[in-house]
Amino acid sequence: MEERNRVLIIIPAYNESENIEHVIDYLTKQAPWCDYLVVNDGSTDSTLQICERERFHYLNLPINMGIGGAVQAGYVYACRNGYDIAVQMDGDGQHDAAYLETLLEPLRKDEADVVIGSRFLEKEGFQSSASRRTGINILSFLILLTTGKRIKDVTSGYRAVNRRFIEIYSRDYPMDYPEPEAIVSAIMHLGRVREVPVRMRAREGGTSSITFGRSVYYMIKVTLAILICRMSYGLRRAKKAETAKGGGRQ
Amino acid sequence: MIPATLRISLIAAVICYFIVILYFLKQRALNLKYTLLWLVAGFVMGLLVAIPELLVKIIRIFGIQDNMNGLFIFMIGFIILILLSLTSIASRQNGKLRKLTQEMAILDKRVRQLEQDMTAAGGREHKEE
Repeated sequence: MEERNRVLIIIPAYNESENIEHVIDYLTKQAPWCDYLVVNDGSTDSTLQICERERFHYLNLPINMGIGGAVQAGYVYACRNGYDIAVQMDGDGQHDAAYLETLLEPLRKDEADVVIGSRFLEKEGFQSSASRRTGINILSFLILLTTGKRIKDVTSGYRAVNRRFIEIYSRDYPMDYPEPEAIVSAIMHLGRVREVPVRMRAREGGTSSITFGRSVYYMIKVTLAILICRMSYGLRRAKKAETAKGGGRQ
Repeated sequence: MIPATLRISLIAAVICYFIVILYFLKQRALNLKYTLLWLVAGFVMGLLVAIPELLVKIIRIFGIQDNMNGLFIFMIGFIILILLSLTSIASRQNGKLRKLTQEMAILDKRVRQLEQDMTAAGGREHKEE
């Protein structure tokens, strides 16, 4: 049998009792060759009970840490267990496991370090609301300004990373609303970021974690996070270059 | 100049302040690390009560005309600094908590896996090496 990379699908789940069963069933049928790991992020509904009953592979975070902390727990697990590739996929059924191969291909060919599943490249499937798309475009432009790299679907939580970024993200992954910031952090670590077209679906059940009232706060917070991330890594890199020049300083 | 009675009550207040801090320390309700800040604050307050002219001089250096205004500005500035340091402490603890939670979740999964493996072994005796 051909030697395949070991792939771990990380599925953060907060109160996803309505969706999680479908998602895992579909995933194990579509991609039986990869491992998956549900990260129950302190859900208050029966998500944990479902994972237990169905004997899913899961991590149980006893307190709610937000998507950033949950995803990072998955990366730490992937790092410890020697996975070559980690994929993030939402637990609400928006991300279609049929696109896994598309997502993994650039990593397998070693053409990219971070691959983002983008719903805007071919403009197919669920495209989100107009106001949300405007917000995403603004953030996309901001990332272009700060890093010089054009990423269209910056808030997509459907992404795959190689071993190098499993290690980086398990050490340092942004909190709260991490997706755009994680892209900036990947670019600042000199990672090759690539977008591939995927189709997304509207949520199957439950409610999205981002309500309309929070979107203003979201935009301000993420903008700030991108700028701070850009600045601090800029400084860090300069410092590193300096220490390299200074040689064996104690 | 500050009247003598006011000065006495202020000194009493500073002494009370130190007693409260010492009490917390004794109860181990305060880490010495974070107490240093409060001790310094108490020391500065004591100094200002003992030598009020010092405050007036400092305030003039900053170009503030009214003594009381100057005192309030310094106090507010100091309180903001303390709040900032508290936020930073909370953030750092948040990071630690995050690490602990993730570590715990991974261990929890390992324990479950081990239990499952043991059950699967079906009560067979340990065979090591």
